[in-house]
Amino acid sequence: MKGLLSSMLPVGVPIPHSQDEVEYSFAMEYHGPPVTYDLPRAVPIDIKRIPTAAVVASSSLSDKLSLPVVQPLLAPDPSGKKHPKELIQGSRKIVSPTSVITFDQRDRDGPDCGLSGEFSSSGTLAFSNGHDQSCELSDVIDDGSGTLAFSNGHDQSCELSDVIDDGSGTLAFSNGHDQSCELSDVIDDGSGTLGLSNGHEGSPQLSGGIGVSGSLGCCNNRDESHESSCSSGALRPSGDCKESLDFLNDINPPDWGSTESIQSSHFLSSEISSSKGDDFNNDPDCHAKRTSIVTFLDAESNDSVNEEFGPGEGQVIQEQRGPGTKTKKGACYRCSKGNRLTDKEACIVCNKKYCSNCVLRAMGSMPEGRKCVTCIGLPIDESKRESLGRCSRMLKRLLNELEVQQIMNAEKSCETNQLQADLIYVNGQRLCPEELVLLQSCPNPPKKLKPGRYWYDKVSGFWGREGQKPCKIISPNLNVGGTISANASNGNTKVFINNREITKSELRMLQLVGVQCAGNPHFWVNADGSYQEEGQKNIKGHIWGKAGTKLVCAVLSLPVPSKTTNPCGEEVNNLVNRPVPYYLEHRALQKILLTGYSGCGTSTIFKQAKILYNKPIPFSEDERQDIKLMIQSNVYKYLGILLEGCERFEEESLDEMKKKQSLDQFDDVGNVKENEEKTIYSIGPRLKAFSDWLLKVMVSGNLEAIFPAATREYAPLVEELWKDTAIQATYKRRSELQMLPVVASYFLEHVVDISRTDYEPTNEDILHAEGITSSNGLACMDFSFPKSANDDGSETADQNDSLLRYQLIRVHAKGLGENCKWLEMFEDIRLVIFCVSLSDYDQFCDDGSGSFVNKMLASKRLFESIVSHPTFDQMEFLLILNKFDLLEEKIEQVPLTRCEWFDDFNPVRSHHSSNRNSNSVNSNPSLSQLAFYYIAIKFKRLFNSLTGRKLYVSLANAWEPATVDEALRYAKEILKWDEERENLSMNELSNYSTEASSFSH
Amino acid sequence: MSVAELKERHIAATATVNALRERLKQKRTLLLDTDGSSSCYSHFAGYARSQGRTPVSFGPTDLVCCRILQGHTGKVYSLDWTPEKNRIVSASQDGRLIVWNALTSQKTHAIKLPCAWVMTCAFSPNGQSVACGGLDSVCSIFNLNSPVDKDGNLPVSRMLSGHKGYVSSCQYVPDEDTHLITSSGDQTCVLWDVTTGQRLSVFGGEFPSGHTADVLSVSINGSNSKMFVSGSCDATARLWDTRIASRAVRTFHGHEGDVNTVKFFPDGQRFGTGSGDGTCRLFDMRTGHQLQVYHQQHAAADGEVPHVTSIAFSISGRLLFAAYSNNDCYVWDTLVAKVVLNLRSLQNSHEGRITCLGLSADGSALCTGSWDKNLKIWAFGGDRREI
Repeated sequence: MKGLLSSMLPVGVPIPHSQDEVEYSFAMEYHGPPVTYDLPRAVPIDIKRIPTAAVVASSSLSDKLSLPVVQPLLAPDPSGKKHPKELIQGSRKIVSPTSVITFDQRDRDGPDCGLSGEFSSSGTLAFSNGHDQSCELSDVIDDGSGTLAFSNGHDQSCELSDVIDDGSGTLAFSNGHDQSCELSDVIDDGSGTLGLSNGHEGSPQLSGGIGVSGSLGCCNNRDESHESSCSSGALRPSGDCKESLDFLNDINPPDWGSTESIQSSHFLSSEISSSKGDDFNNDPDCHAKRTSIVTFLDAESNDSVNEEFGPGEGQVIQEQRGPGTKTKKGACYRCSKGNRLTDKEACIVCNKKYCSNCVLRAMGSMPEGRKCVTCIGLPIDESKRESLGRCSRMLKRLLNELEVQQIMNAEKSCETNQLQADLIYVNGQRLCPEELVLLQSCPNPPKKLKPGRYWYDKVSGFWGREGQKPCKIISPNLNVGGTISANASNGNTKVFINNREITKSELRMLQLVGVQCAGNPHFWVNADGSYQEEGQKNIKGHIWGKAGTKLVCAVLSLPVPSKTTNPCGEEVNNLVNRPVPYYLEHRALQKILLTGYSGCGTSTIFKQAKILYNKPIPFSEDERQDIKLMIQSNVYKYLGILLEGCERFEEESLDEMKKKQSLDQFDDVGNVKENEEKTIYSIGPRLKAFSDWLLKVMVSGNLEAIFPAATREYAPLVEELWKDTAIQATYKRRSELQMLPVVASYFLEHVVDISRTDYEPTNEDILHAEGITSSNGLACMDFSFPKSANDDGSETADQNDSLLRYQLIRVHAKGLGENCKWLEMFEDIRLVIFCVSLSDYDQFCDDGSGSFVNKMLASKRLFESIVSHPTFDQMEFLLILNKFDLLEEKIEQVPLTRCEWFDDFNPVRSHHSSNRNSNSVNSNPSLSQLAFYYIAIKFKRLFNSLTGRKLYVSLANAWEPATVDEALRYAKEILKWDEERENLSMNELSNYSTEASSFSH
Repeated sequence: MSVAELKERHIAATATVNALRERLKQKRTLLLDTDGSSSCYSHFAGYARSQGRTPVSFGPTDLVCCRILQGHTGKVYSLDWTPEKNRIVSASQDGRLIVWNALTSQKTHAIKLPCAWVMTCAFSPNGQSVACGGLDSVCSIFNLNSPVDKDGNLPVSRMLSGHKGYVSSCQYVPDEDTHLITSSGDQTCVLWDVTTGQRLSVFGGEFPSGHTADVLSVSINGSNSKMFVSGSCDATARLWDTRIASRAVRTFHGHEGDVNTVKFFPDGQRFGTGSGDGTCRLFDMRTGHQLQVYHQQHAAADGEVPHVTSIAFSISGRLLFAAYSNNDCYVWDTLVAKVVLNLRSLQNSHEGRITCLGLSADGSALCTGSWDKNLKIWAFGGDRREI
């Protein structure tokens, strides 16, 4: 706050000490000596007249280039000190249409007006004219229109840094003699970025500009000896836009922060002009924001600028700039206090240094480590890579340990701070991100990789900077970069190793270790150091075999292989088992949502995938425990259903018996009492008590609450119950019990084992259990596809494939909330796998309102609502038709037309009905296969009518791992294809869409 | 009695209940019509206006965004303040909870969650632990003081599992660090003992007079922590007494869409609801009457009504902050039922839908969390320190 204030106030005015008493406002009352000139007034900006973005827009940018802007390039003559005037006129033409600033023509004084820092709603313009001045426009975030930093004059610099601009052009422009135009770190969407600098000793910089429509860095330098005594140090308005306010005490007008920097610079310049005020007298008609900084009577006297200044004036300027310029080295960038010795923290992007008071304000919460708030999202200064994650004392003092740890972690691991792959060239070829990962994650990575050009000898693993001798031996056989060229290390010895002409020091080494190098041989050196001559079979020797080799290498500062060198190429490229870097894990993770109507088998598919891809330990101990309890309580539930059935059957048989008895009543009265209540479905009194208790617990819905205590107490009872003839009789009639799920028999067969306390579920048991967790909530697993046999060595692309991680998210349809309310949480999903049970067509379920609906129709309804959910617009869908085995069993007995949606299923049956089960798919598909194709087409048409796109369908039987693997690999292919399609051009895309529509009809 | 028989009876009883409910609804609307005004859209607002009460006026600087909490990389879904006002916990789709110091906007904790699909989070009254819940159907408790594991993650100190559906909302019982109430997609609310991880009571579910659809929100009465209210997809809000789990004290009908959010009025005598039908309503806890509807006519061409995602009352209760799915965030004058401000129109407003709102305990600041991944703290400026 104080630093800000000091930059706002005129020099000499003491800074009020207690902040709380001051009501801050922009307009400080002027208490200085009376002025003799008209003060520049701030005329309210007419909103309507603020020009819009169109003027600087990208479309017209090219036209602009031909405007008089260019003229000065040609014009300056060696003594051309008069040119600034022309520049002004030229530039005025350019600027006026876009500028909010109007300034009248001033002939007498020449080009000596400076305008610095103009912000408008439609554009951002920094304009500076004059001899000794600078214009800086930093940290501009501009939406919608152009950003223009413009600077004209002799000694000046125009800086436009950290501009984030959406929509139109960014132009940094600088004209003059001794100047620098910097346009750094411009992120520009949609249009051009132009850094243009003209002059004699101009040093244009256009660094890191990313422009969609192209960036132009243009520079016209003349090496004319133009003496400039002034340094072209940048004037930095010391205001920091990101002044943070204590929200309880310092409530300021909301626009305060954004205008602050302008205010300060404005104030600053008018203060200077007050010391040279006379020049303004002729200008009663000053317009808004026109502010002279320094006035020179004659531009010719430029050389002696400093002499012209009175010592006092010079001081004024010096002092005024003090806070902003870097003249005071080591001062805090924000508050301008402190010196070289005070502890400071530097931004890892722009290297602005902040003292301990300011660092937290300037850097905020540091989501990407020590970066100014405005630098967040920008790549770091490479020279600071070393210090990443190394915390300074100061930060430790300011923040607590955990916080520091987090920030350092973020600094090290966040993706923007990583080395940019496209800055690294290996063998003349720019790396792609995957290659960089490969390079960095190999057993012997190049140390302290910096952006630059490198050569890499894939056979032997030699690694070095382009044009230099090798500096390291890294892991060989990495598939990065292009092929090595002969002059990669710029050798001139005519001796070649693996196609590279080696350097002198290498040759010396070879000679010293006794390798015959006469006759300019071409060697072929392997990773283990064995070498042979090109075209010859026998290995001539072993470079590293001799004891002295390493010593010689050390003397010649050549690299030696590290001890852990892995000579086996295959293993190096096998990345599956290697932990993927954290930041990549996030990017490469492709999320797949698996969902479907209840009972369709998503949980089985999920568990099957776990068993398939989480090979060593598919289920953790906790998961097993959870599933164990679930299986046990489910078994009790099945028993309860059996008992219920048992009661029913008992009643029925009793009724029958009564009927019989009433018929036989006359024959045999005496026997009635004996037969009473004794059917095969009757159970003993002890078991009866247990079954009554179990049924009661079930009805109250607290079945889970009794576990795990129940297992200890009732295990023997369960055994007895299961072995009871009545239960066995009921179990035989299980097909009559609607409530009993199909899997029940699997568990009931083992009920004796399961009900024991020491029961450990096998993978098979887990697979058969209903659900994944007892809470039936969302479950997710990360996996990558292991290389299958038929994938081996097919392409190099596989290497990247194995890097890709997938996340399978299985969520219960009910878990998505009513009307799939929470689907919006799955916007980053890449593919939806919707699962439908093929055997559902004759089953019914309660739809919640008491009426029964066909499960297939319920499935269809869910499918429709998910497909048409706005979150899943343009989402790829894969339909898995599950439980094909059940369909095969069922379809012969129950026609598919049982479901009204499938009422037009009339397959053409072949005459060879005896061959039906012979699996000869091509010649003679079975009825179940026909049914599958029919249902698939039904869903495809439905999907197409809803979205106009293509639905992928896969067949599965979740019990069989192979079918699940196949379906998930199909999903992978879809994702891959989806990615590749993004790279295709538009007309290819239209081809695709026609193909898609034709496919589905 | 067999299960089948019981089921039959249940169906019959459900039908009767539905019929009775319909009658109750009709009766209630009749009663409301006799309140003196023909339209149910001006209950006490009409009276207040007739008394010459004017809406609160907001100057441009009266509500100012003074902090932007950046750090989440996904949509923010929930936030909660500590009672001592200076810390905030937020839950985001990036699978993290972040604990912020609201004064300095520093992060004090970033907690990586085992399940990224988090929907709610809450601070314990003593500020020592946070709770969160989501699609994994588990409410996880993190003790902020426990040591981090080798990966730098804070371990889960307690898992409250037992819900059969997603955990949509959770709130600690005020002044009790051991008790927590959650609402869930399994149509129930549960009172938990955090120390043991056991369910103390289940509200709804198998019991009659529970919600008949997913419960989306709970709010505990600040002045009587035995009472809490829940809002559900069955378009009702229900008032519960934690001592009586068997039935709801009262059911509040009126909404025509999911009740997305409920919040007690500061005096604890009434509560507000926000719904998918685009309205907010104020209900009286004791009489069961709907006191006011806060409804803004939208000129949406597609006829789609933006639904209310979250609400919060100012400390005096005069203002109701309501966030809508179309990125609006209205400030309602609760007395005269007029919109006095739209946060969206302010400088530095959110770029995405605001999903959660929370007032600091002293009422001096409002925190909003949004789909644009940021949280913002708004302070009352000018002469008003709080309102």
